[in-house]
Amino acid sequence: QCPHKWKKVQCSLCKSKKHSKERCPSIWRAYILIDDDQMVKPKVLPFHTIYCYNCGEKGHFGDDCNERRSSRVPNEDGSAFTGSNLSSELK
Amino acid sequence: ILNTDYPWILNHDHSRQKEISDWLTFEIKDFVAYISPSREEIEIRNQTISTIREALKQLWPDADLHVFGSYSTDLYLPGSDIDCVVNSELGGKESRNNLYSLASHLKKNNLATEIEVVAKARVPIIKFVEPHSRIHIDVSFERTNGLEAAKLIREWLNDTPGLRELVLIVKQFLHARRLNNVHTGGLGGFSIICLVFSFLHMHPRIITKEIDSKDNLGVLLIEFFELYGKNFGYDDVALGSSDGYPIYFPKSSWSAIQPIKNPFSLAIQDPGDESNNISRGSFNIRDIKKAFAGAFDLLTNRCFELHSATFKDRLGKSILGNVIKYRGKAR
Ligand SMILES: [Zn+2]
Ligand SMILES: [Zn+2]
Repeated sequence: QCPHKWKKVQCSLCKSKKHSKERCPSIWRAYILIDDDQMVKPKVLPFHTIYCYNCGEKGHFGDDCNERRSSRVPNEDGSAFTGSNLSSELK
Repeated sequence: ILNTDYPWILNHDHSRQKEISDWLTFEIKDFVAYISPSREEIEIRNQTISTIREALKQLWPDADLHVFGSYSTDLYLPGSDIDCVVNSELGGKESRNNLYSLASHLKKNNLATEIEVVAKARVPIIKFVEPHSRIHIDVSFERTNGLEAAKLIREWLNDTPGLRELVLIVKQFLHARRLNNVHTGGLGGFSIICLVFSFLHMHPRIITKEIDSKDNLGVLLIEFFELYGKNFGYDDVALGSSDGYPIYFPKSSWSAIQPIKNPFSLAIQDPGDESNNISRGSFNIRDIKKAFAGAFDLLTNRCFELHSATFKDRLGKSILGNVIKYRGKAR
């Protein structure tokens, strides 16, 4: 067994085990949201505008694709293009 | 000591911003304002173009001169060439001879120095420097779709907040690495615009109308490099548009580009001609992807570093400086 496997790293900001809190993507992946009262929120998710960067098909984001990963660069922490980067009521 | 390596940060310190992505947003706006042409420069450019146009009409009364490319959309960096096309019945077989006639006419009228006629290229052009303004100008005769593309880009710029700012940063980034010249396999201006346009219109926070791109340029720039440097499936996915909106689709379903000789390549469908891949000349996509990934690493590492630094250490620092490597003239 590889001893590194058991090394405990956990980010106290986002609870991920893949990075320490000094390198948490939440440090830079922060959005200024439009004020709630000014926001014209869509009632349903606009599925027709969702495309996958991995397989090119419509209806899901690249991070959530079931096909084999096309890029050889790993995506451990996840990217902007995932269903979890949506506000909670649309997830 | 003032840091003159990054002149756009002088008198624009944002080191006290709470969120590092807001600091980056402000620095992007400062840089764009810094490299944007002044009113005086725009007037000199317009004056130069109309002088050349008048000289052309003297030679051929039925001809006209149109500006396309980055100058017609204000998406140019300091010192870029102005791309013009001569619009008349002169295209086609005669265009090479006409290039020489126009070149000697301009020279005779003291409107051109350092003239170079590139007659053997796919699109023959005259390159010259207008001596009064010192502006570099390219004139071609071939009826390209450049004029329609420029009109489309102006529409996109109106409908897509943040497009102009991100395109200028990405252009400068590629320019500093000599990866923006199509003749050497780099990414051309229109391809860069298509990549940013697609990115913005497919972003989860933008399609749900949760964010205003102009307030989030910092995080969006990093996520642009994340998408096209780390995650995009260059082997399998093409960019296109449907009813004016950007889409992705499997490369395998695009019959016009089959058979695909090099699978690891960028495929962008021309919005004006669906059989045309506008990025077919960008054969150096491997280095471009690597450079984008490097930009992502540089930017995020810089964010982590400055996030944990004291305000004293953050004062007068630049996030963008090492990434875009701007060494052009001051404006
Ligand atoms: Zn974390
Ligand atoms: Zn997919």
